[in-house]
Amino acid sequence: MSGQGGQDAKFFQRGKIQEFRAELEAAESKDKKFTKRKTVLKKIVANITMGNDMSPLFTDVVQCLGTPLLEIKKMVYLFLVCYGRQKADQLHLVIPSFLQDCNDRNPLVRALAIRTMSYIPTPVVIESLTDQLRHCLKDRDPYVRKTAAICVAKLYAADPRKAEKGGFVEMLRDLLLDSNATVVANAVAALSEIGDRQDGVIFKLNLTVANKLLTALGESSEWGTIYILDSLLRYVPEKHSDAEMIAERVIAQLNHANSAVVLTAIKILLYLMNYMENRRLMEYICKKMGPPLVTLLSSGPEVQYVALRNILLIIQRRPAVLKNDVKVFFCKYNDPIYVKLAKLEIMYRLAREENAREVLAELQEYASEVDVDFVRKAVRSIGRLAIKVQPAADACIQALLDLIETKVSYVVQEAVIVIKDVFRRYPGKYEGIIPTLCEHLDLLDEPESKAAMIWIIGQFANRIDNADELMDDLTYTFLEEPNEVQLALLTAAVKLFIYKPHSDTTKALVHKVLKWTTEEVDNPDLRDRGFMYWRMLAINPTVAGEIVLAEKPPITTDADRMDRGALDQLLLHTGTLGSIYHKNPETFIRGATGKALTDSPALNPLSRQVLVPVARTNLPPTTVKVPGPGPPEPTMSNATSQDLLDTDSPAPQVQNGAASSAAVNLMATGSSSQDTPEDGGEDDDAVPQAPASDPYAALDSAFGGYLADEPRPQNKDLLDMI
Amino acid sequence: MAIDGLIILDNAGRAIAQSGFHSFPPAYPLLHIDALNNALASAAHPDDVDPVLYISGINMDTPSACCHVKRGDLRYLCPVSGDVDPLYAFAFLQTFIEILHEYFGHVSAETLKQNFDVVYQLLEETLDSGGHPLTTSPNALRDIVIPPTLLNKVLSVAGVSGLATSSANSHPFASPIPWRKTGVRYNNNEIFFDVIETLDAVVNKNGTTAVSSVWGRVETNCKLSGTPDLLLTFSNASTLNDCSFHPCVRLQRWARDKVLSFVPPDGKFKLMEYRYVPISASSLNQVSVPFILRPAVQVDEHGGSIELTFSSRLTTRTMENVYVELYLGEGATGASCITSHSTSWSFNPRTLTLVWELRAVVPSASYTLRGSFTSTAGAPRPSRAFRVRFEIPQHNYSALKIEQLKLTGENYKPYKGMRGNSLGDIEWRW
Repeated sequence: MSGQGGQDAKFFQRGKIQEFRAELEAAESKDKKFTKRKTVLKKIVANITMGNDMSPLFTDVVQCLGTPLLEIKKMVYLFLVCYGRQKADQLHLVIPSFLQDCNDRNPLVRALAIRTMSYIPTPVVIESLTDQLRHCLKDRDPYVRKTAAICVAKLYAADPRKAEKGGFVEMLRDLLLDSNATVVANAVAALSEIGDRQDGVIFKLNLTVANKLLTALGESSEWGTIYILDSLLRYVPEKHSDAEMIAERVIAQLNHANSAVVLTAIKILLYLMNYMENRRLMEYICKKMGPPLVTLLSSGPEVQYVALRNILLIIQRRPAVLKNDVKVFFCKYNDPIYVKLAKLEIMYRLAREENAREVLAELQEYASEVDVDFVRKAVRSIGRLAIKVQPAADACIQALLDLIETKVSYVVQEAVIVIKDVFRRYPGKYEGIIPTLCEHLDLLDEPESKAAMIWIIGQFANRIDNADELMDDLTYTFLEEPNEVQLALLTAAVKLFIYKPHSDTTKALVHKVLKWTTEEVDNPDLRDRGFMYWRMLAINPTVAGEIVLAEKPPITTDADRMDRGALDQLLLHTGTLGSIYHKNPETFIRGATGKALTDSPALNPLSRQVLVPVARTNLPPTTVKVPGPGPPEPTMSNATSQDLLDTDSPAPQVQNGAASSAAVNLMATGSSSQDTPEDGGEDDDAVPQAPASDPYAALDSAFGGYLADEPRPQNKDLLDMI
Repeated sequence: MAIDGLIILDNAGRAIAQSGFHSFPPAYPLLHIDALNNALASAAHPDDVDPVLYISGINMDTPSACCHVKRGDLRYLCPVSGDVDPLYAFAFLQTFIEILHEYFGHVSAETLKQNFDVVYQLLEETLDSGGHPLTTSPNALRDIVIPPTLLNKVLSVAGVSGLATSSANSHPFASPIPWRKTGVRYNNNEIFFDVIETLDAVVNKNGTTAVSSVWGRVETNCKLSGTPDLLLTFSNASTLNDCSFHPCVRLQRWARDKVLSFVPPDGKFKLMEYRYVPISASSLNQVSVPFILRPAVQVDEHGGSIELTFSSRLTTRTMENVYVELYLGEGATGASCITSHSTSWSFNPRTLTLVWELRAVVPSASYTLRGSFTSTAGAPRPSRAFRVRFEIPQHNYSALKIEQLKLTGENYKPYKGMRGNSLGDIEWRW
């Protein structure tokens, strides 16, 4: 290698197996400094990384393992990791070398050996690994101990029962009290990984251990900090004061430079707040959480994106967090589109009467941008703002009218779509602008906007002088229109006829449309609706009028708020994929365990009321048994596994039963408290509502991506149909 | 809580290096690479691809996500299949990229290929096959993966026996502090602080500032012997908000006394980041933008005209490397401009951007640019804002000063140096 650094590229040449074999043989003699072997091995490794199969060289390469040179060892181990499982029948050749390396003088070699062994989970290797691992977990060198801790998780993945029988889980638990912070963090990581498995030993923390872990935070690397913080989700506070004390110690981590640490800390704080009582402390925590979230926005666009999606969740549960910071979410024109859209959504959520003017000014600015998608969303947001903040409605409508004047097709279309909702939100207030809308009919060429405009014409046909002319023009292309527009045209034609039953044009029009829908259209929805209208009109036109023009329920923006229970649960996943997609991970990741708030005496009443039990597939109360230190215990109930870390012995264990009974418990609590809905006096504006049977019912409408989240009256289709 | 691995792609979307993925089917990394390449190919703008791509999996039952970033010419992918914090993936990618820079200086497809063995060793040591980051602090990594340059030097001097290199420090991680190695020695004990502050603002059409914030960071280069314990006091620490710190800083101490108490890593590291909020009588608490731009943009059929006046509001300092940019919209073909006093303009046909470059803007001076552009689009849609970047050397918006640097744990007196630099990135709407 010496003298040829920087020329390794030449190793990336396809080599032949025979050549390498010959070269390795040649290298066995007269290779004092092992340079020959090193060169050949390098070529082989280069070939592996190019995807060429080097497995025929197994026996030849393995012979190099005896070479007392770390660099060569590393390459051979890399080779073994790649082909070990393929060549399981020859692995016994390597075991002696493994054992020798596990007892090497150099801690790096010891660690490397057990790490490599844990990567090759074949029975032969696992067999010899278990003994070595036991020594390494007690090694005097922290590097070996921390590597061994992670290896336990691997061993568990390969053979859970063996790992449990071998007492490895207890040994990991002992490592939680290790003097070296990195070792502690890795033990936590390993226990968490085991605990996250569906068949794993459940990993819970008690107050003493939680406190110990927090002490280790000071000296941990950022990854260690993340593992330790994340594991705190496994601690269920029994008293308000415990939750508050832990939270106070976590707050300092909000100043960490690593964005993942910050978001994990926020997740824990949000979790602990469910168990708190001290209102002043909770306000303080909310105040403390805002700035670090804002700081995340000064990082790269990827981090911003993740942060924004999480902020969107957090502000729904704790609106106090960023209440006065709407300005930070103003978009820059060179932000990537995904950042802009996420910011826009948050701006809308944070809009209140006090800042509506600023927000509107920004939205107007965005409406003249270059990016079409973004412009559309901006225009739509103006309408949503009008619906959400009543005092700002006038200004918003004016803004929309100004936009319509630009005559940019997609701007006008979006404006028409939201104005329809505005009409429904403030009946009788803005109908004066209808003529302006009608002037721009010819700009509408997309189904959604066209349907919206047709709805407006039909609904307010009595206020539009030339409604029949307009409708006549619009129905001209009836048979070529998409379904959505045809449905709208049908309903509008009926409405028009009901408003003006004596006009010949309307009569002819409704007749024409009904005839088309019932005779020439294939779509069953349209046809059935046509028949229904026809009969209604035929039987009793007055009643038909009452039904079709019945008063519509007012539109609100409630539909886009998520259910509290679902929100609580999602927030346990703060920062994770679940929070990006706004879905619980067990619904889209196979093998993911769900998370749910666990009931405890300290859980605040409102959270308990909306508690959603975890959707964990409950395995039968397992054969999992963790014998404690000392003489073998008599077979106990399945509670043993859960007590793993509960060193406070007979503390109230009501909720810490087996997973299955816990889930049942939670459901019981959830339903029994339905009878006694009480306001927990939460600071957020969530109105306590009876828990819905399906807490995710509102989820799709609220968060199905960016496009489906405009306010929509529930049951709109049904009402429109009539 | 573990990522699946790491893949590095060159600018053509081909894999240069990747971690093991031993517990996954061989097609798994390819699936991610293909999904990303497809997403990039079908996106209107490569920057607009979602940074967390949802990947439905070979069999529909194993969905996963692909977190990716682009740095320089290379793309770094981080597949995740559990319910993992994507920030965790991004934080790891960022750390790994920083390590590559530490090791190779300039990182390109070429350097990575030339040093592939070091890259693979780094992958092995920083990420275990279960996806847990292992050793990522450069101080500790240097003990187990020898940087290419150092390796050559050691080998040529010691005349070999490879184990010699590691036995020189046979106890890696002997240090109880993960970020600092033991036994560091310098002849001159010195520590340098670079305070870099960036003004990030949006200015409305009417010249009022819509948003403005100053983000600061303190880059440190530490060359101190032994295990020094430092206590750093700033003269105006109360104006520093929303601070985030390197893991070495004792957070409780900062919360209590607003002083930085830490045992620094050896070498270069980022000590802290903050947001500067001036304490002033005005309710706005904003730093004002140090220039005025008077734009007049007229868009006509197939083109338009631009008139710009840039005036410095600084009275004593010079602004340097000022760039005023305007994206001219889809279809822009060219521009021709006249600029005043030794400033220059250019049109970048790749990004369709007009750039006006002002090397040095002397205090209170005004500069103008007048010109027109052409476009194939009937109604060109240039972006609604100018982007202005600038630099003010030897200056800090916050006027941050070190009041005191106390050292305990070692008995020497360190030399301390501090340097300020202010940057700006302003969006000016028209």
